[in-house]
Amino acid sequence: MAVYKRIYKVYDGPLTPARSRFLVLSRYSWSALFESRLFTSFTLLCFSPLLIGGIFIYVVHSPTVMALVGAHINNGDLITNIWFWGFLQTEIFLAFILGVWAVPGMMIRDFANQALQLYLSRPLSRAEYLLGKISAAVALLSAITWIPGWLLFGLQAQLEGHGWGGEHLWLMGSIFLGCMLWITVIVLLAMALSVWIKWRIVVSILMLATFMVLAAIGEMASIILDTQWGRLLNLNYVLTLIETRLFRIPRHYIHAWRYESVPVWAAWASFLAVCLICLWVLNQRLRAREVERG
Amino acid sequence: MSEVVALENLVVRLGNRTILDRLNGSLTGLCIGLLGPNGSGKSTLLNTLLGFYPPFGGTARIFGNDIRADIGRLRSMIGYMPESDAFIAEMTGIKFVRYMAEISGLPAREAMERAHEAFFYVGLGEVRYRKVGTYSLGMKQMVKLAQALVHGPRLLLLDEPTNGLDPEARQRMLQLIREIHDTGKVHIVISTHLLRDIEDCCDQVLILKNGRVAALRDLKEERKANRKFLELEVNQQNGFVDAISRLGCECASFPGGRLKIVLPEGIEVRQLYQLAAEHTVQIRRMNYRCDSLEDIFLKAMEEKPEARGSTSGRL
Repeated sequence: MAVYKRIYKVYDGPLTPARSRFLVLSRYSWSALFESRLFTSFTLLCFSPLLIGGIFIYVVHSPTVMALVGAHINNGDLITNIWFWGFLQTEIFLAFILGVWAVPGMMIRDFANQALQLYLSRPLSRAEYLLGKISAAVALLSAITWIPGWLLFGLQAQLEGHGWGGEHLWLMGSIFLGCMLWITVIVLLAMALSVWIKWRIVVSILMLATFMVLAAIGEMASIILDTQWGRLLNLNYVLTLIETRLFRIPRHYIHAWRYESVPVWAAWASFLAVCLICLWVLNQRLRAREVERG
Repeated sequence: MSEVVALENLVVRLGNRTILDRLNGSLTGLCIGLLGPNGSGKSTLLNTLLGFYPPFGGTARIFGNDIRADIGRLRSMIGYMPESDAFIAEMTGIKFVRYMAEISGLPAREAMERAHEAFFYVGLGEVRYRKVGTYSLGMKQMVKLAQALVHGPRLLLLDEPTNGLDPEARQRMLQLIREIHDTGKVHIVISTHLLRDIEDCCDQVLILKNGRVAALRDLKEERKANRKFLELEVNQQNGFVDAISRLGCECASFPGGRLKIVLPEGIEVRQLYQLAAEHTVQIRRMNYRCDSLEDIFLKAMEEKPEARGSTSGRL
């Protein structure tokens, strides 16, 4: 083929490695997301906790600034695992909104006009398709959750000195794992609902409903049946319970927030069950052709 | 001629229904038509060749590669144009086709170059920066063709390519298919229920009926073989048929004084007139006629597909 010749020509040039081809999907997904100015602005807004957290850490370590404001604070009591946990709660809330916004759009545009069959008629498996989309979503949500968390940890370790970084190295794992738990649930849930419902607004509403309505049902079940197990339906509760253990939040905090009613292993089991259900839905619905049983 | 698609006892079941039932046949043409009424299994066959449906029994080979074992490699050689709408409405045409090329493995620069070429090739060069969602039905069909061509496949699978097109757009689509065919560099499989589309472009046809092979014909050969096929209408037969047979012609008579005659080499039409005069037979109508695809199709639809277990590619 040539623009001016209009002759069909077989392509015999170089090909990209098959293993990294799923990244094409990630790249195009990102490019489509950031075509929206509103989305770009909101993503930038999601970095504001990083900026505020960074300024706060700097201020509490700066004797000049502290002297200026006349405060006498022992910064070792301020920047703790609880502080990082609180910081990440804000980031995770923003990540949830960003996930509800970005992920359904990323998926549904391929389903709205049956473009999925074009992907899968090429040398791209269903797993690679999913991997491409998941990596785009995970990279986006990571950029506003655990990566800023690690940056603030690095800043704190640098400014605090005296081996603070070494002593609190476990906190890096907690930040990463705590955020990845949320990211996994948000991304898988949004994807599963997207391929199932294929209607963006409804998917976004259902995402919110999954967190809110399921929580309400769980609480009602707990009250009616006089048990605590209903809380396992409350994804927010389940993930926060796991997080409190990962961040080694002291018991009195846990008691205050009544996070001790179900064992942590049950929370992990609930988390895994949600992930498996989402993967099952994706496996069932992510097909080039749907077969009507009969 | 090298084998493009080989069907080996292929069975496809969806749910509890058998959609393709023990298909056998060797498709060797440069442009192969899949013909059959709605629901005969044409699209299912294409989808099975693409690996969308797993074979329940038997298998199929494309260029010698088993669809069960080598589907990943096969897909890199195939360009697929689906019957239904298939596009990303929010993308510009050029970005969409480039995207598809990159997924097929072309580096970004080459993908962009080929996308532009593909757009001009299908005649949509002027609208390539418009969003695909704003295209007319005809344009969307052409974009589907462009994305199927962009990575330079060895085999093009076109599912109802002229579906929903006005006569002018249909002609343009068929012209493009013929052009691609004429390059000789790419094999084409067209699934359609429109006989004219197959007649215009294909040199081999596989006719399906109720998920089974009803006929597999080489249209080129059929056209050649029927070059001297004559249809006559006479007032009476008066030993005329015997006389023609003695002349060395194959002759079949039908009610209403209709005769079908195959003239062997060396026999001229003039000799038929002489025989008619000798037997005082009036020839009221005479015309050369090919056994058209319509005849082949109707014959295939009338006849029962061969008995279960012995379905073959030729009637």
